[in-house]
Amino acid sequence: MTEKQGLKLGVTLHSFTPEYITYKWSLEDMLQLVSVLGGGVEIVGPAHQRGYPYLTNEFERIFKSSVERWGLTPTSYGTYADPFMLKDRDLNADEMVDYMVPQLKSAAQLGFSIARLQYFSYTVIERLLPWAEKLNLKMGYELHVPLMIKSEKTQELIEQIERINSPYLGLIPDTGIFARSIPEFCLTGLRAAGVAEQLVQRAIVLWNARTSNHVALEELLKLGLRKENIGTIERVWGSFGWSEPEELRDILPRVIHMHGKFFSMKDGLEPDVRFEEVTKVLVENGYGGWMSSEYEGQDGVNTFDLVREQQAMIRRFAAKYAAN
Amino acid sequence: MGESLFSPSHFAAKRRKKLSNLQNVSTARQELPAGVLAILAHTGKSRSFLCEEPIRNVTRKGLAGFELNVNLTSYRALPLSCIEGLILKIDGKDINVAGAQLVLNGTGHKFADLAGLSEVWWFILEPAILFVPSELPLAKGSHRVEATLITVEPYVTAGRFSFYHPASSTLTVE
Repeated sequence: MTEKQGLKLGVTLHSFTPEYITYKWSLEDMLQLVSVLGGGVEIVGPAHQRGYPYLTNEFERIFKSSVERWGLTPTSYGTYADPFMLKDRDLNADEMVDYMVPQLKSAAQLGFSIARLQYFSYTVIERLLPWAEKLNLKMGYELHVPLMIKSEKTQELIEQIERINSPYLGLIPDTGIFARSIPEFCLTGLRAAGVAEQLVQRAIVLWNARTSNHVALEELLKLGLRKENIGTIERVWGSFGWSEPEELRDILPRVIHMHGKFFSMKDGLEPDVRFEEVTKVLVENGYGGWMSSEYEGQDGVNTFDLVREQQAMIRRFAAKYAAN
Repeated sequence: MGESLFSPSHFAAKRRKKLSNLQNVSTARQELPAGVLAILAHTGKSRSFLCEEPIRNVTRKGLAGFELNVNLTSYRALPLSCIEGLILKIDGKDINVAGAQLVLNGTGHKFADLAGLSEVWWFILEPAILFVPSELPLAKGSHRVEATLITVEPYVTAGRFSFYHPASSTLTVE
C-alpha cells in the first residue's frame, strides 16, 4: 500500500465510548467502522485492551486480524501515566516507568508508530526514550486542556522537547484547546447535576474571561458550589481551552499526531471548536500526519454519523485551504 | 520554464495533490458496506452503575447477604485503588456498606481494602458483583435501589479528587 500524503483522517475508538460500554459495538465492530472513517485507528489502552497495561496474545491477534481484514493503519496508542492511582501519594518515578514501559511495548507490538503520552510522563521521559528508540515508537505529549499552547507547563514541555531534540519525542495537540465556547450539552449537564443557575452563569463568565481552573473553582465554591459538583466544574475547565489556532503554526514542526476533539455537530459545523482555522494552519503548513476524530459529547447520539459529519467538515476546510 | 517553485499556485497544486484522500467522500448512509450497516443496526444494553439483573439473596463463603451486579462508571479500566467508596440506599433506607465486597472474577474485595489494590484492574466491559452482608434476606418483589459509586480518575490534572456517580433503579428480588 502506498503511503498517503498530506493530512490523513482517522478516528480514536474513544469516540465510540457510548456504544462500546453499552455492548452495542464490540471492539471488532468498532475496528470495522474505522475502515469507512479514514482508516487510521487509535485506541485507548485501558479502555480497549483487555489485560492492560500488559498485552495478551489473544488481544494482539484480535486487534491485528481486524487491522489486516479492514486494511487499517494503527496510528496512535493512548498510554496513561495515572499519577494519582495510589490512595496516599503520587506514583514515584520508578513506579511510573514500571507502569509506562508495558504500555509502550503493547503499542509497538500492536503495530502503532506513535504513543500518546499524558504530560505527567515528562518527569521520567529520559528513562522512556531508550524504550521508544528500541521499539521504534514515537512518543508525543498530548496538549489537552488545561495544557494550552501558551500554558506554562506546555512551554516547559516544548523546552524539554527542543533540548532533547529526538525524532522520538513530540507533541499531540487536542483540538479541545481551540474552543470558542462551552458546548450547550455541558451546561445542561451542570444543571442536571444540580448546579444552581446563578453558578452556571458565573461559570460561563469566568470561562469566557479565561479565568484559571483554580481561581474559578475557588470563586464558585465561595458562591456555594457543592463538593460533589467539583467534578462537573473540573470537566468544563478540563475539556475546553482557549488557545489561538494560529499558535499551532509555531509548534507544528514538533507535532507528530493530532486529536480532532469535537463535542457536537450542527448543520455540518462544530459550533464550539475552531476547526476551520486549525485545518487552515495544518494544510497551509503541509502537515503530513494523522488527525484522529475524537468525539466527546453527549450520549444518546450515533457517534458514527457524527464522526462522518465532522470528517466531511474537515475535508471541506482542507480542500478550501489547499486550493488557496 | 513554468511557474516558480515558490509561487503560491505551485504550493496550492501540491497541496491539492496531497489531499487526494480527502476528496469526494459522501456522508450518505446508503453508500456504506452492508457489514457496516449491520453494525449500525445493533442494539445495546442500558448502562449505569446498577445493572438491570435481579438482586439475589445469597450466602457467600458462609456469610449471609444479598448481591447485585454493578458496572464501572468510567470509560476505561481502573485499578481498584481508584474506587473511593459507595453510598447505598434500599427503599429509602441507608445501608451500612462497611462490610460490603466488590467481587471481580469470583474474588471478593472489601471496600476498606480497595485503596491498597493498585494492581487489580476492573475492566470496563466486566460487570462486578456487589455483595452486601445482611442477616436478614431482602423481601421478594421490587426494591428501589439508590447507589453512588465514588471514584478517582487518576490523571485529572487537579490531583486526586472524587467523582460521584449516582444511579437509581427499581430491581427485583426473585
